[in-house]
Amino acid sequence: MQSTSLTLDNVTVRMGQNTILDSISLSVPQGSFTCLLGPSGCGKTTLLRAIAGFAPLESGDMAIDAVSIAALPPEKRQTAMVFQSYALWPHMSVAENLAYPLKLRGIDRASRARKVARILDLLDLAEFGARSVASLSGGQRQRIALGRALVIDPPILLLDEPLSNLDAAIRRNLRSELRQLQRQLGITTIMVTHDQEEALSMADTIVLMRSGKIAQVAAPEALYAAPVDIDAARFMGVENFITTDSGEMGVASDAACFGFRSMSASICLHPLAGHLNRKAVVIDSAYAGDSYQVLVKSDGELFSARSSTPQLAGAQVILCVPADALIPFGADKNCLIPTDYRTPGRTLS
Amino acid sequence: MSLSNASRVSRSPLQNASHTKWYSVALVAPALAAIVFLFAVPLIRSVVTAFIDADGGWTLENISRAVEFYGRDVVFTIVIAVLSLAVIAAISIAIAGYLTLGSTPWAVAALRWLYRWPLFIPFIVAGQTARSFLARNGLMNSMLMEAGLLEPVAAQSFLDWRGLVMTFAWKQVPFVTLLLAGAMASLDRATIESARNLGANRLRCLFEIVLPQVRPTLFVGLILSLVTIMSVLSVPMMIIAGTPNMMTTMMAHRVTYYGDYAVANALGLFSYLLTALVAWFYLRSTLEKEAGK
Repeated sequence: MQSTSLTLDNVTVRMGQNTILDSISLSVPQGSFTCLLGPSGCGKTTLLRAIAGFAPLESGDMAIDAVSIAALPPEKRQTAMVFQSYALWPHMSVAENLAYPLKLRGIDRASRARKVARILDLLDLAEFGARSVASLSGGQRQRIALGRALVIDPPILLLDEPLSNLDAAIRRNLRSELRQLQRQLGITTIMVTHDQEEALSMADTIVLMRSGKIAQVAAPEALYAAPVDIDAARFMGVENFITTDSGEMGVASDAACFGFRSMSASICLHPLAGHLNRKAVVIDSAYAGDSYQVLVKSDGELFSARSSTPQLAGAQVILCVPADALIPFGADKNCLIPTDYRTPGRTLS
Repeated sequence: MSLSNASRVSRSPLQNASHTKWYSVALVAPALAAIVFLFAVPLIRSVVTAFIDADGGWTLENISRAVEFYGRDVVFTIVIAVLSLAVIAAISIAIAGYLTLGSTPWAVAALRWLYRWPLFIPFIVAGQTARSFLARNGLMNSMLMEAGLLEPVAAQSFLDWRGLVMTFAWKQVPFVTLLLAGAMASLDRATIESARNLGANRLRCLFEIVLPQVRPTLFVGLILSLVTIMSVLSVPMMIIAGTPNMMTTMMAHRVTYYGDYAVANALGLFSYLLTALVAWFYLRSTLEKEAGK
C-alpha cells in the first residue's frame, strides 16, 4: 500500500458570507495519524470535507505528494473517507458495500471477492458478507465503513468523528484497534474529533482548531502540557486559572497567571513544599468515582481540586498545586512554555 | 396494592377505550361511506354490467364484442401507456437526478423553479396547446423551418401516437419528478458523498446509489401516472382524430353515440385489469422487500 503526504497551503473556504476556513496551512507527513481537534463549529469537519473535495476552496491550494488536487472532483481525489453516520449503502449487502468501490475501479469479480474476503477477515467480520447492512450493530457498521474505505488501498484515509456514535466501551476498543490498523497499514490518516481524550490517545500530531483557524499544531504530550493560550488550555481540560505573584512558589517566571487541571490539585491541611499553596474554603464536594471533586473558594475566586476524602462545606483547607503542574500564561494570554517543548514531566524554570 | 384497588384502577381505562373505539369509528365513517358509495359500489356495478345482457342474464357477449370492435384500441392504449411511462421515467430521473447531484447552483435553482409549471395546467389546456404546437403548420414546425432545420415539404403533423406520448409525458413528468426529487432529497446525503468519495462519478452515483434507494417512489409515481393516462379523455380526443385511439375515447364514444353501457363497461374492465396488474406487481415487490428485511 502506497502512503502519501498531504500539504494544505492557505486554504480558505467560504459559505455565503461566512468564512468557515481562514488561510489554513498544514503539512501532514506520510504515514502519520493526524487529529483535527476543536469545539463544534470550529471548521474541522469542513476542512476534512475540503480535502475530500466536498467543500470548494475560495482560495489556496492542496496537494497530495506535491500534486495539486484542488481542482479535482471528489471521485478523482483518491482520498477514502469514513463518515460520521457511516453512510453504508442500505440497498446493498455487507459484501456488496465492500465490493462497490472495487467495481468502480473496474476490478474483475474474482479479485473483488478475494479482496472483500480479506477485508472481512481483517475486520473480524468474516461471516457477515451476505448480511443486510440494516441488521448490523453500530460497531459493526463502523467497521464495515472503515473496511469499505480501506478496500481500495487509499493513499489518504479521512475519518469524520468515526467513533462518536458508539457506546463508551466499544469506542475504547475500536480506538486502539483503529490505531493498530493504521500503524500496520502505514496509511496517512486524518481524523476529525471533538473528544480530546480520543485525540490524545490516537494521534501522532494534533491540530487544534478554533473559529476556522489553526490554533496549535503539536504532539499530544506537548498540546496537553503546553496549550498555546488560555482558550486552548480551557479546551484541553485546564479548568483553573490563578493570578499570582510567581515568587509565591519560589519559581522565577514573568507569568501573569497560571493554569492547572483539577486532577493535579489536591486539598491539604498544611502547606506543601514545592507547591502553590492557597488558603481556601470548601464550597461543595461531589463523589467522582476514584476521588472527590471539591469546589473551593479562595480570594473570591472558585477553583476545583481532587481529594481522596469527602470535604465538608465551609471547612478551612489549603489548595495545593505542585509547581510542575502549573502552566504559565503571559499578560497576552499566551502560554510561556516554548512551543517546541515536547517532553512531559518538566519543571518550571 | 390490594386486588380491589387494582380492578378499580383498571376499569376506567377500559371504559375510555370503548369510548375511544366509537369515536374512531365515527371519525372513519364519512371516509368509509365515500369509498363504499362513490367508489366500490359503482365499480362492482360496472363490472357486473359488463357480464349482463339486455334481458338481464349472464353473458360474455359484451366482452367478445368489446374485443372484436376495440381490440386494436386496447393494444394501442397499452403501447401508448408503456411508451409514455418510459419517457416519463427517463425524463423524471434525469431532472430529479440533476436537482440532487447538480453542481451548478443557479442551473439547479432555475430547473427547480421551471419543472413544476405543467402541474398547474389542466389536461384540456395541455391538449389544446399540444394541438397548436404539434400540428403540421403548428408552432414546432414553424420554429424548425425558421431555424432552417426543416424543409417546408418535409413538415408533418405530430398529432398521432407521438403527440399523445409527448403530451402525456409533458403533463406527467413534473408530477413524477416532484415525488422523485423529494425522495432523493430526503436520502442520507452521506450515502451519495461516500460513493463519490470512493470513485463514483455523478452518473454512476445516480444509477447505482440514488435510484435504487428511491425505486419504490418511482414506481408509485409511474403507477399513478398510468392511472391518469388510462382515465384522461380530453387529450386523446383532441390529439387523435379517428382510430385506433385510447380506450377512454372509445368508451365515451360507445356511451354517447350508442348508449351501450354494457360494451363500454366491458372495455372499462380491460382498464381495471391493466392497472390492477401493475398495482399487483408493485405490491408484490414491496411485500417481498418487507419480508426480506
